[in-house]
Amino acid sequence: MSYQFDFAYIWANGPALLGGLLMTIQVSVVSILIAAGVGLVGAAARVLRVPVLSPLIVGYVSFVRNTPLLAQLFFIFFGLPAVGLGLSIYASGVLTLAVWGGAYNVENVRGGFLAVPKGLNEAARALGLGPMHYVFLIAIPVGLRVSIPAMLNTAVSVLKNSAYLQAIGLAELTFVAMEKVASEFRTLEMFASIGVLYLGLVLTLSWLVRRLEDVLQRPFRER
Amino acid sequence: MVSNARKSSWVAALAMSLGMAGAAALAAELPPVPEALKKAGVLKVGVKCDYPPDGFLDNQGKPQGIEVNLAKQIAANAFGDAAKTELTCVTAANRVPMLVGGKVDMLIATLGISEERAKVIDFSEPYAWGGSDIVVPKDSKIKKLADLKGKTVIVLKGAWQIGWFESNMPEVKLLKLDNVSDGLQALLQGRGDGYAHDHAILVGLAKNNPRTRLVGELYQIGFRGVGFRKGDTALREYVNAAIKKAYADGHVAKWVKQYVEPDLQPVTIETWNIALAPKS
Repeated sequence: MSYQFDFAYIWANGPALLGGLLMTIQVSVVSILIAAGVGLVGAAARVLRVPVLSPLIVGYVSFVRNTPLLAQLFFIFFGLPAVGLGLSIYASGVLTLAVWGGAYNVENVRGGFLAVPKGLNEAARALGLGPMHYVFLIAIPVGLRVSIPAMLNTAVSVLKNSAYLQAIGLAELTFVAMEKVASEFRTLEMFASIGVLYLGLVLTLSWLVRRLEDVLQRPFRER
Repeated sequence: MVSNARKSSWVAALAMSLGMAGAAALAAELPPVPEALKKAGVLKVGVKCDYPPDGFLDNQGKPQGIEVNLAKQIAANAFGDAAKTELTCVTAANRVPMLVGGKVDMLIATLGISEERAKVIDFSEPYAWGGSDIVVPKDSKIKKLADLKGKTVIVLKGAWQIGWFESNMPEVKLLKLDNVSDGLQALLQGRGDGYAHDHAILVGLAKNNPRTRLVGELYQIGFRGVGFRKGDTALREYVNAAIKKAYADGHVAKWVKQYVEPDLQPVTIETWNIALAPKS
C-alpha cells in the first residue's frame, strides 16, 4: 500500500495546528523569561556565596541536570498533588520548564559572571561599591553579555522541550499533532508539518536573540 | 477364517486411516498459512499492555492476557509453536500508526471496528463486543451520563469515546491523556469529573480502586476486531478461521477463567460471545 502525502490534509488542519503553535509559543516564552530570572538570581547568589542559598542552589542545579525532564514533569503534575500542591496543566507545564531552564541558566549566568575581569571587582571594591552595587552595575552588564549565547541555547531547549507537555494534556503543537494522528492516522503529514513549524520557531527565536545581542553590544562598539 | 495377525493389522490400518481422516478434517478448518507469514517465521502482533484482563504486563514484565493468548494461539496454529510471536505493546494512540508503518503485522489490541478506522485498515470478523462507561470519584454527584454536561471528562488519545462525546455531548470538555494509569491518576486528583473508557477496563479499575465508582450507563456498544493493513486478505482470512477455531476448541472460555476474577467471569464471557451483543 503506497502512502500518498496529502498537502490538503495539512491545510485543512491549519487552524488546529495554529492553535497548538500559539500555545507552544505562550508556554515557551513565559518559561524562558522565568528561567532567565531564576538563572540570574541563582547565579548571583552563587557568585556572592550567600550562606544558606548557595549550597541549595548547587543541589537544585545538580538534581535538575541529572534527572530526565519527563520524570520531573510527571513528578510536578502527578506527584505534587499528593502532598497538597495541585497545579493546573498549564501551571505544571510552565513550572517544569522554568525549573529545568532555570537550572541550566544558573550555570550559564554564573559562567558569565566568572568571565568578568577580576580587575573590575577589585576596582569596584576600591571605589567603595558594595556587593549589590557590583552585581547590578558591573557584573550583570558585563557578564550577561557573555552568557547570552548560552542562554539562547537554553531558551531553544526550553522551546523544544515544551513538546513533552503533551503527556500531561497541554494542547500545544505536539499534542495537536499526536491527537490527530491517533484518530486520523496521517502520521507523515502531521509530524512533517510540526517539524517545519518547530524549525521556524527556533530560527525566529535565534534571530531575535541575535538582534538583542547586537543592541547590547552597541555601547562597546562606539568607542 | 482370518488369522489373528491379519485381523489386528486390518484393525490397525482402519484406525490409522480414521485418525488421518480426522486430522485432515481438523486441518481443513484452517486455510493454508499465508506466504508472507511463513516467510517471516514469526507473528508480529500489537497488543495492549495496560488493559487487564485482555492485555497487561505480568510481574516479569511480559505481556499476558486473553488477547495475548489469542495471538499466541494463532502463532501456534501457523507455526506449531506459540513462542513464535513477537508481541509489541501499543496504546490506543499509536496502534494504528504502528500497524500501518509495518512495526507490527496485526493488532489484537481491544481495537473497536469503526468506519473511520476501516478507511485506513482492514478488520477481521468481530470477536468480542463491549460498551463504554464512565468512572467517577466515589463521592461524586454524577449519577448518569447527562450529569456530565459542561464538565471535564478524561479520555485517552485515539480512543473512540472521543468521537462519541464530540458527536453526542459536545458541551463536555475532554482532557486527553496517553494511557490508563495517567487517566486514573488524573481522575483521582480531580483534574476531571469522570474518566470515560471501555466498560471492560473500567469494571476492573473501579473494583480495585475504592475511591472510584462506575456510573454504569453503557453507551457506544461496539465490536472488537483484529486489525490488518489494507489489502492483507490472506492473513485476514487465516486469522478469521483461527479465531473461530479458538472458540470452537474452548480456548476462549479457558482464557477468560484464567485471567478474570470469578465474580466478573459471567459478564466477561458474555462480551466474548458475539451472539449476545445488544442490537442497538
